[in-house]
Amino acid sequence: MNLRGGWALIKSMWLSWMQHRGFFFLLAFGWMVPPLIYLLVWSTAAGGGTVGGFTRGQFVAYYLVLILVNQLTYSQTNWTVGDVIRIGDLNPWLLRPLSPLYHALASEVAGKVVYMAFVVPVSAVLALVLRPELHVTPRDGLAFVPALALAWGLRFFWGYWLALLAFWATRADALLAVQDALVFLLAGQVAPVALLPGAMRGLATALPFRYMLGFPVEVLTGQLGAAELLSGFAWQVGWLALAVTLSALVWRLGLRRYAAVGG
Amino acid sequence: MRYLRLIGHFVRASFQQEIAYRANFFISLLHSLLNLGSGVLGLAVLFGQVETVRGWDFAASLALLGVYLTVGALRGLFIGPSLDALAGLDGEVWSGRFDFTLLRPVDVQFLASLRHWRPLALIDLALGLGVLGLAIGRLGQSLTLARLAAFIVALGAGVTVLYAILLAFTGLFFWSPGFLFTWLFDGIFQMARYPVGLYPGWLRLVLTWVVPVGVITTVPAQALSGDLTLGMLGGSIVLALALLAGATALFHTGIRRYASASS
Repeated sequence: MNLRGGWALIKSMWLSWMQHRGFFFLLAFGWMVPPLIYLLVWSTAAGGGTVGGFTRGQFVAYYLVLILVNQLTYSQTNWTVGDVIRIGDLNPWLLRPLSPLYHALASEVAGKVVYMAFVVPVSAVLALVLRPELHVTPRDGLAFVPALALAWGLRFFWGYWLALLAFWATRADALLAVQDALVFLLAGQVAPVALLPGAMRGLATALPFRYMLGFPVEVLTGQLGAAELLSGFAWQVGWLALAVTLSALVWRLGLRRYAAVGG
Repeated sequence: MRYLRLIGHFVRASFQQEIAYRANFFISLLHSLLNLGSGVLGLAVLFGQVETVRGWDFAASLALLGVYLTVGALRGLFIGPSLDALAGLDGEVWSGRFDFTLLRPVDVQFLASLRHWRPLALIDLALGLGVLGLAIGRLGQSLTLARLAAFIVALGAGVTVLYAILLAFTGLFFWSPGFLFTWLFDGIFQMARYPVGLYPGWLRLVLTWVVPVGVITTVPAQALSGDLTLGMLGGSIVLALALLAGATALFHTGIRRYASASS
């Protein structure tokens, strides 16, 4: 592991991205809007009462946390990996004396730094205007940190193995669009998972998508009891292990097929 | 007459370009179905919890979603691709290829607005009209011929407003090349998925008067359900015409600032 080289790469990419921050702020704005719409729609629906056990303030808190978690776990890196493979830009990555995973990590870190510079102040202003109701217990606060880290890992590696299918199919990124749609429906964006109708809730619990986004948000907003917390972590770790295994496997098989196009 | 013939040529040329990429058809179909599915399921989840929100029930919201999808499809069919070729990422203004567009012996605005077509958006158009038809069926008896006529006029005004906003943003690109105004608009346009009445007061004002996306979808949907007064219909027509005139002026002033680019 070439740690020093890897760090240099990460830092250079994040600094160069900060130079183009206007562009990335626009992207971040676009990603923020869908959860913001549902924040406003659900809090209007709740009005002075409750919907499905949520008050207006709790909806606001849920969705503001979701906006931050969404931005922290969303990995736009996976959208570019396919292009890199198809166009042949992978060649220089392979020749460098450090793992190609560093390139993905570098753009992940760069992305988080740039996007957070936009999303955190905007969410803070929204919190001032919309008055969320959030009481975090120490247990939930502590559980949130690993839940968030695992969620990022799962979302990253799940997208990574899908993106690596570009070794075989030119338009593998269509699968990423499917993933985004499923995250939208089943991971707590369109509604908190607890409010989904029966069949959808069952799917949400069993499939990996809730553990990429909704689960850490539910942890922090105190929706989960001890048993649900533990089973949630179990699902999360299980899906993450599968995603990492699949990424390693697909990478190895794909590289054997790779014939380096371009120049 | 000559202009109509030219449009025919543009459509044919775009179609011939597009059918070279057959796999794209299936990918577009997938994207359209995902878009439709998440829109309808989103409404189903919301109205699974509450009967009505601020006077909007499932049928009326479905009609609004139909309008949103239809207008979005019209944008994807020609307004979007044509204006994007000018002011999008790596567009003509940025690269200097706009020189060749200016030199052609036809009206610049005509050429800039209608040159590129994306036949695959017809899938979206069919799905949007399908949702609209379904919603009209649900509204059933209450739909009169007068309402239908008002709806068609309102939809025309909505599309005109959309075109005017996009044209104005394209015009602004001449002052600030590199800033992707249409991306900013995309974020705001997503809010048109839901009736403006569901948003809090300050945002409702912005969406009605500053960036009038409310007029694009909410007003036609209200025309269908009969909640639209004649004054509002007249108002949206006046607004559409005023915006169109303003955007055209802005676009032409912008062109005068164009100073080409060299590479």
